[in-house]
Amino acid sequence: MRRSLSLPSVDPFLVWLVAVVTAASILPVRGGIAGWFGLATNLAVALLFFLHGAKLSRASILGGIGNWRLHVLVLGSTYVLFPLIGLATTALDGWLIDPRLGVGLLFLTLLPSTVQSSIAFTALARGNVAGAVCSASLSNLLGIGLTPLLVGLLLRTGGTGALSSWGSVQTIALQLLVPFVGGHLLRPLIGGWVDRNKAILQPVDRSSILLVVYTAFSAAVVNGIWTKVTVPQLGLLLVLSAVILGLVMVANVLVARLAGLPREDAIVLLFCGSKKSLVSGVPMAAALFAPATVGMVVLPLMIFHQLQLFACAALAGRFSRQANLAEAVSRIPQGSEQAAEAAAARGFTIPDACMPGVVANLALLGQHAKTLSGGNR
Amino acid sequence: MQAVDIAAAVRAGHVRAIDMVERCLAGLAQADHLAAVTRVLAARARAEAAQVDAAIAHGHDPGPLAGVPYGVKDLFDVVGLPTTAGSSLYADAAPATHDAEAICRLRGAGAVLVATLNMDEFAYGFATINATHGTTRNPHDVTRLAGGSSGGSAAVVAAGLMAFSLGTDTNGSIRVPASLTGIYGLKPTHGALPMAGVFPFAESFDDAGPFTTSVADMRCIWQVLTGSPVDGAAPTDLRVARLGGRFRDNADPDQLAAIDAIAPHAPIIELPEIARARSAAFLITAFEGGALHADALGRAAMQFDPATRDRLMAGALLPRALYDEALAFRRDFKQQTAVVIADYDVLLAPAAPCVAPLIADPRIVIDGGMVPARSDLGIHTQPISFTGLPALSVPLRRPGRLPLGLQLIGKPGGEAALMAFAEMLEGTGLTGQGLTGIASPVEELA
Repeated sequence: MRRSLSLPSVDPFLVWLVAVVTAASILPVRGGIAGWFGLATNLAVALLFFLHGAKLSRASILGGIGNWRLHVLVLGSTYVLFPLIGLATTALDGWLIDPRLGVGLLFLTLLPSTVQSSIAFTALARGNVAGAVCSASLSNLLGIGLTPLLVGLLLRTGGTGALSSWGSVQTIALQLLVPFVGGHLLRPLIGGWVDRNKAILQPVDRSSILLVVYTAFSAAVVNGIWTKVTVPQLGLLLVLSAVILGLVMVANVLVARLAGLPREDAIVLLFCGSKKSLVSGVPMAAALFAPATVGMVVLPLMIFHQLQLFACAALAGRFSRQANLAEAVSRIPQGSEQAAEAAAARGFTIPDACMPGVVANLALLGQHAKTLSGGNR
Repeated sequence: MQAVDIAAAVRAGHVRAIDMVERCLAGLAQADHLAAVTRVLAARARAEAAQVDAAIAHGHDPGPLAGVPYGVKDLFDVVGLPTTAGSSLYADAAPATHDAEAICRLRGAGAVLVATLNMDEFAYGFATINATHGTTRNPHDVTRLAGGSSGGSAAVVAAGLMAFSLGTDTNGSIRVPASLTGIYGLKPTHGALPMAGVFPFAESFDDAGPFTTSVADMRCIWQVLTGSPVDGAAPTDLRVARLGGRFRDNADPDQLAAIDAIAPHAPIIELPEIARARSAAFLITAFEGGALHADALGRAAMQFDPATRDRLMAGALLPRALYDEALAFRRDFKQQTAVVIADYDVLLAPAAPCVAPLIADPRIVIDGGMVPARSDLGIHTQPISFTGLPALSVPLRRPGRLPLGLQLIGKPGGEAALMAFAEMLEGTGLTGQGLTGIASPVEELA
């Protein structure tokens, strides 16, 4: 007798993430090759922003810029909610967690949001990409001033305090904004092609995330991430990171509901408001903390960063499916005119005598589709 | 008379196979009012019976189903005949060049094919209301439906015209008519029984399975069809649960009373998102059925049965993305269900939600509202098909009253546990006379 065998249904992208982290642990990229990988990562991110710039209409972008309520909520999550939770974790310093790691935990809560992965996940989840571009960019740019200010207020660092603010501005401008604007300016030429080939955006979104993860995790491994702390401390960091991330995500979901945000904006708040930037955090730590402590300070950030990617990948997959389902439900023909058009597209004609029955059955199937999508229980 | 008893008598030489066939043919001739048969295969049956009798005369054992007459739903390939799937559309199709694999295996065990049996056209329905062959009537009350889509297969067994028959079950097309006609019906683990030579409906869910009047017959036919013995499982060792939620919301009080009497202390468990599962099953079935018949609908829509034509056309118009999402939901649902039922061997649930509806008013009550029986009698069977789990419909013993059935649902490959549990219910019962088991129709037929 045949038994049905099935593998657990895991989002393939999560499998890719695990594979990439495993690959970086076993075979981290280092030396000159790391430089090439860094370049490839930057190019992939630039391509991602170029394509999103070409895809988004002017009205969408202006709408994104003008969505102040969303930007305020994202900034509130990044620079108010996160730091408050970070301060709460300081109660654990000394008796439960190594004080140097405690500093790292608080430090990570003061960092700006990521730009690239926030936008990529928002795109995967079919959220408001224009809003995400603006919110995440704003968070990152403000972080250049806000993060050192918060660090100065809440932490004793022992570092130089000298930040390469101009360098961060240049990175954001060159890698993100220039390709985005460039893509958008070319929209009259290539917008049609991008609209017809929307399917290429998802592989670009995903591969850019995977490249970032591989490059960053390789650097962490090369720097001895697995030798700096004990396994119990690592486990504790993982748990604390999960708790922080969970608290922020739940809070953002509730805030989105209270504020009555549309689904697309709620996704932006969830993803942009719960992220912390590794790309910004590592150089900031190098500038703000004594060199001997930098490794330990950024370790919580490394772990949080991986965790946020996994959590967001899972959520983005789920949201994407919900959006796909809602779109598919909306494409069920309704009424005799749409039914006739759909039949013609499939190569047959609905006889007049059958039309009322076909329309009635389509309505019944529409009810089942709504039940499947969770909107008609 | 049970199949195993007929076979024992034939093998022992107490009765000839040809006599059993003639008796069956005579019964069928008097049962036209049931509209259960689409084609009587008298010549073939007599030839097969003669072969069985010849084997016995030569001292050979024809097999465990020696000389047992049976029928198959009108969608199994029968050599020399067009496979019509209950439709006039294929009445002139090229004849099948081989028997369906299930028929081959039954023939190898000595069973004798006597007839093809009525069904909803293309198996799309739970009522066996067929524009070409008529509406199959319930032997317990001929003013009522026999259920479907394997209604003819159920009716001939319930009427005592044949000891067993074969049907197919996509969303409940064996379990629903088994419940309405008071007999046993098995939907196996998806893919466990041979489907070669069976006209498809929705291949994600299609399965063949037998109708019988006893668990002993079910066990025997299962062994013949699978080619492997049923591993004995001690029914006292089986872990039982009752399915709650919608399974208890839309059930006949007698079904709930029987379930509670069978396993009063068994936990009531709920399958997650059962309404979504049923809707996903509905959509997958509609899409696959529509896709299968799209070409024919384009060629000759008006030759379809009006009752199925509009449903198939609507299914053919569903967006592919919706089907893909329903399949994705199914993968998750199967995993969640596997976790929920991991600690149990047998789950108890209603089969059809009520007794057989009247043919004059083929509607039933679901969630307090009247809905068409043709599409909704499978409310409790459809979510189980969705998981691919095996389910055995067992009849409650209710002499003088309209039949009701329960589903015994098992784990993948758990048919042996289901049969062991059903045998325990049938044999010992809880009332002294057996809580389950068939009750013959009040009206004497043939």
